[in-house]
Amino acid sequence: MTGRVRLPGERYRGPDRPEPKDPAAPLWRSAVLLRIITFFFAAGVVFNHRDEYADTTLGWVTVGVMAVWTAVTSVYYLRENSRAVWFILLDLAICCGTMTMSRLVLTHEQLTELAVPLVPTVWVTAVVAVGAVRAGLTGGTAFGLVVALFNYGVRGYVDTDLTRDMVLLVGIGGVLGLAATTSRQSAERLAKALRVEAATAERERLARTIHDSVLQVLARVGKRGRELGGEAAELAAMAGRQEVALRALVSAAPLESTEDGAADLRPRLQVLATDRFQVSVPATPVMVTEPAAVELAYLVQEALQNVDRHAGAGAKAWVLLEDLGDEVVLSIRDDGVGIPAGRITAAEDEGRMGIARSIRGRVSDLGGIITLETAPDSGTEWEIRVPSVNTAKGAK
Amino acid sequence: MTEHPISVMVVDDHPIWRDGVARDLAERGFDVRATAGDAAAAVRIARAVRPDVVLMDLNLGEESGVEATRKITGELAGTRVLVLSASGEHNDVLEAVKAGASGYLVKSASAEELVAAVRRTSAGDAVFTAGLAGLVLGEYRRMASGPEDDAPKLTERETEVLRLVAKGLTAKQIADRLVLSHRTVENHVQSTLRKLQLHNRVELARYAIEHGLDQDQD
Repeated sequence: MTGRVRLPGERYRGPDRPEPKDPAAPLWRSAVLLRIITFFFAAGVVFNHRDEYADTTLGWVTVGVMAVWTAVTSVYYLRENSRAVWFILLDLAICCGTMTMSRLVLTHEQLTELAVPLVPTVWVTAVVAVGAVRAGLTGGTAFGLVVALFNYGVRGYVDTDLTRDMVLLVGIGGVLGLAATTSRQSAERLAKALRVEAATAERERLARTIHDSVLQVLARVGKRGRELGGEAAELAAMAGRQEVALRALVSAAPLESTEDGAADLRPRLQVLATDRFQVSVPATPVMVTEPAAVELAYLVQEALQNVDRHAGAGAKAWVLLEDLGDEVVLSIRDDGVGIPAGRITAAEDEGRMGIARSIRGRVSDLGGIITLETAPDSGTEWEIRVPSVNTAKGAK
Repeated sequence: MTEHPISVMVVDDHPIWRDGVARDLAERGFDVRATAGDAAAAVRIARAVRPDVVLMDLNLGEESGVEATRKITGELAGTRVLVLSASGEHNDVLEAVKAGASGYLVKSASAEELVAAVRRTSAGDAVFTAGLAGLVLGEYRRMASGPEDDAPKLTERETEVLRLVAKGLTAKQIADRLVLSHRTVENHVQSTLRKLQLHNRVELARYAIEHGLDQDQD
């Protein structure tokens, strides 16, 4: 057969999607709006003080530069694609430049005793917002700090009012930066959830298709073949194994773990089911830590291989998974020949038998206990008890 | 046999399977009254022919076999539903059993197992596989850890019996191990199922009353 069945573990990739929009786009728009509003405020302040400046012409030139720069940045930041770092640094430089111009525009008294606002006034907060939206908490606070330091430098002194400005600038940068980071993260989470949803839908579609076609035929072939006996029964057994394996694949949930490192143990056990090994699980997820899930699935696999090797031809096995709330119980029972009394310890003494030492050791590493009941001709029954994910976490 | 043969109806959306099962049962002396390929037809035909046992697949395309099971067991007192479905359809199997099905058999079961299961179902016994026992155990534990205080609980003995069923022991082996009669083991198993179904009906009725659905039906 050349066809290929896609296994459930593989991720479904949807049709090509356009580049995702920056989730911080509303924040960019706000930063642009802030700059436009503060520009008019700054222009108003210069108009009010026009007769008092040392160099009013230069004041108006500065306002002109600010107008042009407001227009340029508005266009640039509203574009959907990349906002280059060099441009944002240039933005910062120009903003600081307009502040520095105030040393020539304002008189010495205006700069110091009268505390007249600098030419750009609050217009420069917009660049702090830009830094925050672009680079998060670090960018926001750094830009706030740079603007605040220029504020000190231009004025040439330090006092309560200027320090208050610094606290506000750095604070605004930090808060906005956090908001930008948070909105990007939640957009990422949403996108991830959507991908998982798409993958699940695709799985379900596949499962339905396989159920409606291949599985029905395999089941029927298996059943009829067994009834006919002889060579047909052998073919039936092969069909039966494929049927069980395929069913386990399509019915098991994807092997995924949650963000906090917990994993549903059920799908990892369900894929171990065959026509001789039955796996019984609850209908609701059984959460254990991710390493515990891997380890327990491995142990069950080992135990089932042991059944294959030692329990005798045609031995069946049953795996039962139970969630008792504070602990998870795994039972593995087979109806094979059983282990003669003393064989496990004898083998342990010889140091070659895997069961006793490795299984016991692995279970106790998980903080669990394992018990074994066996007698000649009555099969073996393992019971593994490990703390569930909540208990395991509480213990740490 | 002096009694009339057990009448059955086979519900499955896949013709190969449906006809195969119907033929197997007819060959073994069952009265196959009807077959149906979807849930709506299943309910309609069951009302008309009133079979003793409905063999119900759960994967029926648009409407699930769970609702059909609920309607059939709710309306037809003499008709029992045996779920014959793929292994692994956990939630559906559990829902169907809560909705009133008497048991669950995997499709890979042999013809002999199927025949035995149909006989048991028509006699009013539950058909419990290891897989179903694991689901029912899990459901009781889920309810016990939930907020409802009136949720049904298992007795210690019932839990013990169900665990052994889930580990693949037959009723006889369980009876031997626990030193009980075969009948007592059967009764324990039945009772776990009945409590679950009763609770499910109460829940549905409560939901209907709370949402005013009971008035719309007059």
